[in-house]
Amino acid sequence: MEEVDKILIHALKQVGTEVSEEIDSVRQFSSELIVEAVVRCIRVIDPGLGSTLPTSLPPGMSARFRVGMSLAQACQDIGYKGEIGYQTFLYSNEPEIRSLLMCLVEKLPRESAETSDQPTGKSVVLQRAIAAAIKAQLAVPWLPTNCRLPLHGETQSPAALHNFHVQPLSLPNCSKGPGKKQLKELNDYQRDILPPVTAQPSHHASVVASILEQHTAELSAAQEWDNEWNSQGLLSRLTPQEYQSRKLTRLRKRIEEQLRSAALPSPESAFGGPRSTSDLGELLQAFRASAPSDHILTKGTHFTHTQKFTFTQESAAVTNSIPSRLQSEGDSQQRQQEELASLQQQLQQLCSDVNQLTADMKHMSVTNTQVLDELKQREMGNSEKEEKMQVKKKTIDLLPDADNNLLKLQALVEASAKRVVNLASQWEKHRAPLIDEHRRLKEICSNRDLESSRKLSEIKSLHDKIRVSTEEARKKEEMYKQLVTELENLPQDVSRSAYTQRILEIVSNIKKQKEEITKILSDTKELQKEINSLTGKLDRTFAVTDELIFKDAKKDESVRKSYKYLAALHENCNQLIQTIEDTGTILREIRDLEEQIETENGNKTVANLERILDDYKAIRQENSALAAKVREG
Amino acid sequence: MELSESVQRGLQSLADLSVFDQSGFQVLVDASFRSLLSSHADPGVLDQPEFKRIDQILLKQSHTAATTFILEAVKQNADKSTISSCLEELTFSAERIEIFYSAYQKHKKELGRLLASIGRRAPQINDVSWRLQYHTKNGQVDKVNEPFYSISLNAENEGSSEDINFTCTVEQLQDLVGKLKDAAKSVEKASQM
Repeated sequence: MEEVDKILIHALKQVGTEVSEEIDSVRQFSSELIVEAVVRCIRVIDPGLGSTLPTSLPPGMSARFRVGMSLAQACQDIGYKGEIGYQTFLYSNEPEIRSLLMCLVEKLPRESAETSDQPTGKSVVLQRAIAAAIKAQLAVPWLPTNCRLPLHGETQSPAALHNFHVQPLSLPNCSKGPGKKQLKELNDYQRDILPPVTAQPSHHASVVASILEQHTAELSAAQEWDNEWNSQGLLSRLTPQEYQSRKLTRLRKRIEEQLRSAALPSPESAFGGPRSTSDLGELLQAFRASAPSDHILTKGTHFTHTQKFTFTQESAAVTNSIPSRLQSEGDSQQRQQEELASLQQQLQQLCSDVNQLTADMKHMSVTNTQVLDELKQREMGNSEKEEKMQVKKKTIDLLPDADNNLLKLQALVEASAKRVVNLASQWEKHRAPLIDEHRRLKEICSNRDLESSRKLSEIKSLHDKIRVSTEEARKKEEMYKQLVTELENLPQDVSRSAYTQRILEIVSNIKKQKEEITKILSDTKELQKEINSLTGKLDRTFAVTDELIFKDAKKDESVRKSYKYLAALHENCNQLIQTIEDTGTILREIRDLEEQIETENGNKTVANLERILDDYKAIRQENSALAAKVREG
Repeated sequence: MELSESVQRGLQSLADLSVFDQSGFQVLVDASFRSLLSSHADPGVLDQPEFKRIDQILLKQSHTAATTFILEAVKQNADKSTISSCLEELTFSAERIEIFYSAYQKHKKELGRLLASIGRRAPQINDVSWRLQYHTKNGQVDKVNEPFYSISLNAENEGSSEDINFTCTVEQLQDLVGKLKDAAKSVEKASQM
């Protein structure tokens, strides 16, 4: 019972009952303690039911009685099957209380234990930390402004805040990187002039934000690159550098295209202030819509010329209108305006001149290239014609000795034909193996292709695996860390090993007892069997002797006597057996009664009776007092 | 704790015995914390006699990496095991980890306050004065007969106090008080996770 009591007391302590250290068994529980323990258990099991019950017994006797009744009712509601009433609490006896407490402790919800078994997520840990921080802050009392100590500064007197303002930082690049040659000037700048990062932002307040932002940007860029490389880069079968450079050229090409398509109105936008915004808008629009660029490009310079021309006129008109409006102002101002206007006009003039000239220059250069091309073509034609002329000259030289030369030529032709045939046969000879080799190489190539794609897929799967396993490892590490912290947070007083040891001991004890019980059971069974066989044997022998003697008894007188004796003997023996059995049952009854007496003694009946008497007297007193009060009233 | 490549490189060179000797390491760690915590930007934070023989580019890289690492660690409220495992991966020796961690421990609160000072905050109510007034009539209506409260909240925002004045009817005031109670309750609930 000691073990059970210890476990019960531990459970009750966890529920929140204040069990003092000296009490180590249910026997020592007082009525107050019992009531408190039961109420706390009920509150945990069913908060709605328990909230109406008081944790301590009231002083008045009738109130105590009522509390006991309601407690008994609550216990029955929860599902306690045993006998229970107010007397259970007020006039306790050990076994009843023990069984009641065991039932209640078994009914205690185990959720808390289950949740602690499952590894809590990171967010839960964070939330717990937040909750702890809020609790700590709530525990600090509020103080008026002038009473605050620097101790409260964190939570109560708000320090100056500043926004999350980020400024770009210039970081010294890694000079160790292989294949990345840096400019010497850049190196010098970074070595001698570049201030440390914390001194770079113009406001010192934005240092933290800037550094954090920079780091996050780097991280996310690396992550994005990783993703892209794993999804697309690996399939392209290029090295990372090649892939990057290819992507860069592609991007550049696109930007160039867009810029070119938008570049047409750019001469104007470089020109005038008032229209620059709209021009920018146009540029952006052109950027967004991927307009076909070539058709704008071929529009030639004439169009731009006219546009430019009209525009200069417009702006000149604008500048002219300004001084006329301001003529009413003072002389000096007017003069200044005039001067400004003339200067502006001059500037316009010069600008338009410059533009004209640049356009002319462009035009000239275009014509220049055209002329150069023409020249080249002419030269080529020239050389062709010269060749033709030479051939013709040779034929003319050959004309005088025509027959001879014809023969010679024919021989020459034949020889060359033969040579061609020869060469062709030779070529065939060479060709066959070459073609074979070509085929072979092609096959190898395709094989390699296959292999490489296979390997590529393998690499990809490996990558995936690596990612998955790293993630898993990280998760497990986190879990481990969490579990470690949880373990640290767990109350250390509960010695788990002692518990398990005790449980194991109990289990082994039970096993031993069970063995003994089975032994005893088999013994009794054997005894029963023996008894049965003996009684059978007895019956049979009796029947046989009875028969034999009965047969002889008819003839012989003395035998008849012996038969009588036998019958008497049998009867007596039966009676004897009966008495033995009766004594056995009586002994058993005695033992039962003794046990009952013991339990009754354990129930502290006498003491309880005395207490009941006292309580009865108290109730009578209360009643009489109340009656007196009623009479007085 | 995830670190970008440049930060990892910077920390690796910081861990390198051939680049930073013991005193240099100590001075750089101190300088990193100081440069984050000092109230004004100090471009000469790296002008220390211990750093004379170190390549300035490497030095700046390491300084950048160290400051970034410190800020990230404070941001994530990293404990000792996280920091030491992170630094161990970057080949820091146990002694250097100890040096770094003791400095981190010393400045963690201040750095946390520094990070907490980024952002904005609603003004904090310090005091309240109120007056119950009775509105009998006005230009349009002859008989109004409604009580109303004029309330002045003395609030404090970034060190300077300001008054927030408003008037409200009884229902509005009740609504306000109910909302405040709700807020207090939800804060309490949040503390009992």
